[in-house]
Amino acid sequence: MDNLNIGRHISGQFNEDLERIINHVMHMGGLVEKQLTDALTSVCDADETLAKKVLHNDYLINNAEVSIDDECTRIIAKRQPAAGDLRLVMAIVKTITDLERIGDEAGKIANVTLESLSGEHKDLLSNLDNLGRHVLTFLQATLDAFTRMDFDAAVRVHKSDDKIDREYEALMRQLMTYMMEDPRSIPQVMSVIWSARALERIGDRCQNICEYIIYFVKGKVVRHTTSEDFESLS
Amino acid sequence: MISVTPKNLSEHNVKLDLNNLTPEQVALEIKNLDLYYGDKQALQDISMSIPKGQVTAFIGPSGCGKSTLLRCINRMNDLVDICKITGQINLHGENIYDRHTDVAALRRKVGMVFQRPNPFPKSIYENVVYGLRITGENNRRVLDEAVETSLRSAALWNEVKDRLHESALGLSGGQQQRLVIARAIAIQPEVLLLDEPTSALDPISTLTIEELINDLKKQFTVVIVTHNMQQAARVSDQTAFMYMGDLIEYSDTNTLFTTPTKKKTEDYITGRYG
Repeated sequence: MDNLNIGRHISGQFNEDLERIINHVMHMGGLVEKQLTDALTSVCDADETLAKKVLHNDYLINNAEVSIDDECTRIIAKRQPAAGDLRLVMAIVKTITDLERIGDEAGKIANVTLESLSGEHKDLLSNLDNLGRHVLTFLQATLDAFTRMDFDAAVRVHKSDDKIDREYEALMRQLMTYMMEDPRSIPQVMSVIWSARALERIGDRCQNICEYIIYFVKGKVVRHTTSEDFESLS
Repeated sequence: MISVTPKNLSEHNVKLDLNNLTPEQVALEIKNLDLYYGDKQALQDISMSIPKGQVTAFIGPSGCGKSTLLRCINRMNDLVDICKITGQINLHGENIYDRHTDVAALRRKVGMVFQRPNPFPKSIYENVVYGLRITGENNRRVLDEAVETSLRSAALWNEVKDRLHESALGLSGGQQQRLVIARAIAIQPEVLLLDEPTSALDPISTLTIEELINDLKKQFTVVIVTHNMQQAARVSDQTAFMYMGDLIEYSDTNTLFTTPTKKKTEDYITGRYG
C-alpha cells in the first residue's frame, strides 16, 4: 500500500474508512481469483461438483461489490474526498465493477464443465487450460499491482494483455479448423469458444483495472489509448 | 431526447490557460507582489492573472495571506499603518498602486463584501443606494431602478420588495449578506471581492449566496476567499492555494481538486498532515 498514502489524514476515522474499503477490495480480489482458479480446475478435471460450487459462490462476489459500492457512496457523502482520495474512491468503484464481471466470466467457464464434453473432444480443453493459466497469472499480477498501487507494474501488466489476445486468436483459429473438419463437433466447440471468449474478456477487464491504477497514481485518464501512449507518463 | 455527447460534456468545462490569457480575458493582473506587516513578510512574490467574468477562489489555512491578498485588490491594506507593499496589481493594464491612483474611484470599481454582514442602520432602500448617493446621484427614478435591479441581482427583491423602507437590521443574516452584496453591486463595480461571505451563515443561506455568486459572474469578475474547500470547488472557476504567504498552486478548479500538481495542495485539500 506504499502509494496509497492513506494513513496521514488528520481525521483518523477517514483513515480507517479508507483502509477498510481497500481491505474489502483485496478480499474481493482474492474471491475472484479463487473463483477463476476453481472454474479452470473444474474444466480441466471435468469436476462438475467444483463447477457447481463456482456457480453457487458467485453471490459472494456480488455481495462484496454491492457492499464496497455502498461504502464508497457513504465516503463520498460524508467526506467529500478530493484529489488522490477522490481518485482512489473512483478507481475502487470502477475496479469492483470489473472484478464482479470477472466473477461472472468465471461462472461462464464453469458452465462448460457442466456441458459434459464427450471423450473425443477432451483435447479441446487442453488449449483452453493453457490460455486459462495465463489469464489467471495476468489477474494475479493485476491484483498485485492494485494492492501496491504500482504504476510501473500496471503499465507492464497492461502491455502483456497483447500476449493473451494473440493466444486467444490462435486458439480460435484452431477451433474453427476443428469445426470445419468435423461439423458434428460444432456444439461442443462452441462451448469451448464461449469459455475462451470469457478468458479473453477477463484479460480486457484486468487491463481496465490497470488503467484505474494509472489514473489513481498519475491522475491521467488513459482509457481508450494504447500502452505506448501512457508509458510516457512514467 | 437530449444526447449527451463527449463534445457537449467537454464544452461544459471550458478551461482557460491561466498562463496565456489574452489582455481581453484578464480582469486583474498581480505581478511580483510582496507585502510586509512591519518586519513580517505576509505575501511573497505573488504573480497571477485573474480572468474576467469568472469566479476565482483563494483557499489556504488561516494566516496564509489569502485575505491579505484579497484586500490588496482594492487597497484596503492602505488602512493598516505598518503595511508595506511592493509589486503591481493591474486593473485593465493600470497599476492600482500607482501614486496617482484615486483610491475612492478604485473602490467603486472593486467592491467588497465581508465575512459578517454589515448593513448600515438605515432602511433597506437607503442601504442599497448609499454608494450612489455618495457619487452624487439623487434622481429618484434612477435610485428606484438601481434598488430593484441590484436587489434582483442579489436574489433578494422578492423577499423585501414590500418593505424597502424598513430597517435593514430586521433582516436575517443570509438576507443581510445578500443586501450587502446588492449594495456593493448597485454602483456597478467591475470586480467583486468576497471575503468569506458565508462563514457566518446557515447551510441554506450559504447555498443561496453560492447560487448568487454563479449568477453574478455573468456581470462581474468575482474573487472569493473561503475556508470551505467544498464551497471553492462548487462556486469557482479557478482556485489559488496559498500557504504561508506563497501562492503554491493556481489552476482551474476542476484540476486543482482532482489532480493537484503540488504535494502541499494535495495534503491541504485532502485533510492530511502537512
